[in-house]
Amino acid sequence: MRLTLIARTPNPEAMIAAAMLTTTSGVKPSTIYERLQANPEKVNDIVSRLEVQHGSILEHNRLVWILEADEQLVLDTLLKNKFFTFTRLGSGRWLMSANLRAILEYSEEHGGDLGDSLLDSICTVVPNVNCFAERRRA
Amino acid sequence: MKVKLLSYQPSMDILSHLPAAKLSEKELLGHLSFTFALEGISRACSHQLVRHRVASFSQQSQRYIQVRMLKTHVVAPPSVTAKSPKIFDSLIGQASNAYQALVDAGIPGEDARFVLPNATETNLLVTMDGRSLMHFFGLRCCIRAQWEVKELSDEMLRQVREAEPELFSGAGPYCCQLGRCPEGRFTCGRMGEVVEKYRV
Repeated sequence: MRLTLIARTPNPEAMIAAAMLTTTSGVKPSTIYERLQANPEKVNDIVSRLEVQHGSILEHNRLVWILEADEQLVLDTLLKNKFFTFTRLGSGRWLMSANLRAILEYSEEHGGDLGDSLLDSICTVVPNVNCFAERRRA
Repeated sequence: MKVKLLSYQPSMDILSHLPAAKLSEKELLGHLSFTFALEGISRACSHQLVRHRVASFSQQSQRYIQVRMLKTHVVAPPSVTAKSPKIFDSLIGQASNAYQALVDAGIPGEDARFVLPNATETNLLVTMDGRSLMHFFGLRCCIRAQWEVKELSDEMLRQVREAEPELFSGAGPYCCQLGRCPEGRFTCGRMGEVVEKYRV
């Protein structure tokens, strides 16, 4: 099995922070997002305090990988989490995408090579979310 | 109402890694997501929005955020303002007073909000993948859709067409996507006019 992250929505942690503040602040979400994009320290501060069960704040993003794996792993993944999307690119080669909530839930509940590779692939993209995932797995 | 496409990953980011792959537009759309800020829409409108289940929502909470100055934070339907503005304004005034009285009496916001009307404004983030967006446009850009959610979906369509002109060139109400009207006996009978309006 080999997993390669090829694309993602920009600045996902700023969007997570914007989603968190949108639910509990009277400020408009576009204003929140604009302010947060200009203030990465604030984003770090907010996202590092992630302690929620309301996973929807982790859904405003998408990450896309090329997965090299057999059909059994793809079927197994789909049966375990319906929020992954797959497209067959060729024999043993797939385009796979999901949002951070699906990634974290899959990794936490099922682990395995794919779960570990998913977490490895996001560690530099969303460092604070990755720390959150590690805390939950510990 | 304010609609702003805040974030998406361009299709080219994916396609540049797949020079030889034959990916249909439909397949590609399923891997793309689009996040919008929707501001100043009514709760009546957001209720219609959340019926689209393959989507993600983060909505301003009425439990944690008190509604101040309800009178200036409502959406008034044009039909009401044209014909019966006094009835509408009177009800909003009563609801506003009742809400404030409950809050002043120490009732939690989550309970005081029960007296707020569907016209109350709300703000939210919504994220849909490209396929879900096409379905949303199919239903909500239709002439039969309620005016506010139609206005919202038309603006969302305009903005994704700016971002991904080719992928969304065939988007619009289902009559544009399918080449036939699926509304049966409820058809508006103006398919030609509608298709022309949404043609790029």
